[in-house]
Amino acid sequence: METIIRTEKADKIYYQGRPEEVRALQQIDLEILKNRLVLIRGPSGSGKTTLLNVISTIDRPTNGRILLHGEDVSKYSDVQLSRIRQKTIGLIFQNFNLLPRLPAWENVAFPLLPLGVMEKERRRRSMEMLIQMKLEKRINHPPEQMSGGEQQRVSIARALINDPDIVIADEPTSNIDAESINIFLDILMDLKRKGKTIVVSSHDPIFLNYSETIFLLKDGRLINIEHRESK
Amino acid sequence: MNKHLNLLLTAVGNIIRNKVRSIVLILCLIAVLFPFISAISISEGIKFQSLISVEEGADIYVTSDHYGSNAPISLRYLQRFQEMEGVTKVFPRIVGRTYFVNRLTTIVGILPENIPKSIHLAQGGMFHERGEVVIGKGLAKEFRLQIGVRFSLSVNPSKLFRVAGIFDSSATIWSANLILMSFEDASEFFRMEGKATDILIYTRPGYAPFLAKEIQEKMGISNPDQMEPPLRVQDKPLVRRYFQRGFNYKAGVFTALYTVAFALAIPALLIVSGFGQTERRKEIGVIKATGWQTQEVMEMVALENLIISLTSAPLAILFAMVWLKWFNGAFIAQFFIAEIGLMAPFSVPSRFLLLPCFLAFLFTIVLTMIGSLYSTWKTATVPPVEAMR
Repeated sequence: METIIRTEKADKIYYQGRPEEVRALQQIDLEILKNRLVLIRGPSGSGKTTLLNVISTIDRPTNGRILLHGEDVSKYSDVQLSRIRQKTIGLIFQNFNLLPRLPAWENVAFPLLPLGVMEKERRRRSMEMLIQMKLEKRINHPPEQMSGGEQQRVSIARALINDPDIVIADEPTSNIDAESINIFLDILMDLKRKGKTIVVSSHDPIFLNYSETIFLLKDGRLINIEHRESK
Repeated sequence: MNKHLNLLLTAVGNIIRNKVRSIVLILCLIAVLFPFISAISISEGIKFQSLISVEEGADIYVTSDHYGSNAPISLRYLQRFQEMEGVTKVFPRIVGRTYFVNRLTTIVGILPENIPKSIHLAQGGMFHERGEVVIGKGLAKEFRLQIGVRFSLSVNPSKLFRVAGIFDSSATIWSANLILMSFEDASEFFRMEGKATDILIYTRPGYAPFLAKEIQEKMGISNPDQMEPPLRVQDKPLVRRYFQRGFNYKAGVFTALYTVAFALAIPALLIVSGFGQTERRKEIGVIKATGWQTQEVMEMVALENLIISLTSAPLAILFAMVWLKWFNGAFIAQFFIAEIGLMAPFSVPSRFLLLPCFLAFLFTIVLTMIGSLYSTWKTATVPPVEAMR
């Protein structure tokens, strides 16, 4: 099976050389195969979010390499990394990171603006996504008027608007209720069926039943890799 | 093309979405710009009126030269000037200053037929008899002077004057606090018998430069009785240059002072334009994380600034117009016109020219760009995760 993401001896060190230096990731070597649902586990402060940030290219490793589709992106320019995020990666943040005061459809359509997609088409595509997320009644609502679960689904719709190969979700269940968690899991399974690679960081045991690969982190080190059969 | 249109519309949307920040920024820009626009307009207005006065005035002004300064000239020169070829009219004038109560006024002693055309009587008549004067509208209004009122002035309290008329003038700043009287009355009042502060010479077209040169050469150093100081000859181009230089100097000083204020305003505007910067920083991180490039973020922010500048500059110009019209350029006019106090007793002249308005627009662009483009660039070039923190 094709490897879609690989890290080679990836380090992430904050405040390097200073007394408060933090080694968030240490010598991480991992491989993520295409069309897998991958779970990154570990206690708080183990480096889960840092690892996701690095493989999603929104942060750079201090040392080591990050390979996407076999290409080393750790030395890519700012422009090249933006292109990768635009075309290949969809990000779902723990705290959703929606733009305040913008209606849901505009939040979803925001990544389409620099692509030159005009308003009518943007609205059509974002509404399609929001209907898939069962948010047809929230199309014109700003984030402030939505529940945590609804905001998360808007965030998912935004991550998927450019039809990326890889979907990365950081602690997706930490800010939503039980019903929203079930909806979220349904969406993930649907995405997997569509051939997407999904990387989730969470300490929520609910993902254990769905994940095919589980990376266990502790103190910034990868201490265990578990492969499971597809569900 | 579609991309740039999208970014423009998003910039408009952002300005509307961040209403408070946009309004505060526009108000700050107006507050910084409108004094500058008002001042330059006043300066241009005064310069324009000065040039009108110069054009209406004589071709040559002759005074005595006393230690390099203008000094009274003997009336004995009148005959000699009149006899020169090309001279059409010669008359003496006395111009002096004194206080009317607490208001510094200018007294002009002149023959009624030589009064400038720009001065029109609003009430009463011209002075005919000894002691009669015509006063400016500003002075009449300030001290509620009416036709027939008698008064004396501090320089020579023994001399009594009677208001015969009140005049209006298109050159308002010169006439507001002016008292016009006969040459003889002024001569008596200032105790300057046989002398004038200057002699005005009108010439046939094209003669002025040659006559000025001739007077300077023939009478500039040696004079009829060798007892008088040498003469000082000033022709119209020279007077025009004096005026322009004087106002350019004042406008220059104002601009220099304003530049200092402007430099102090930049940090203030940086703070204001950084108003909501934490939210902005996070937004930039989020949109970069969703695939926007730095140059797209910069373009959007630059367009926002351009729109804010396009809104602020005309509003600042409009505000300056209102300030000049309704508040008569209060606080600003006194910098250009001496001793007028907070509110000028006359309508402060102003002219709105294209260049200062364009400069105002450039200022707003520079201010807003400095305020936000650098911080945006800094935010957009760090990894998105840092910006979102």
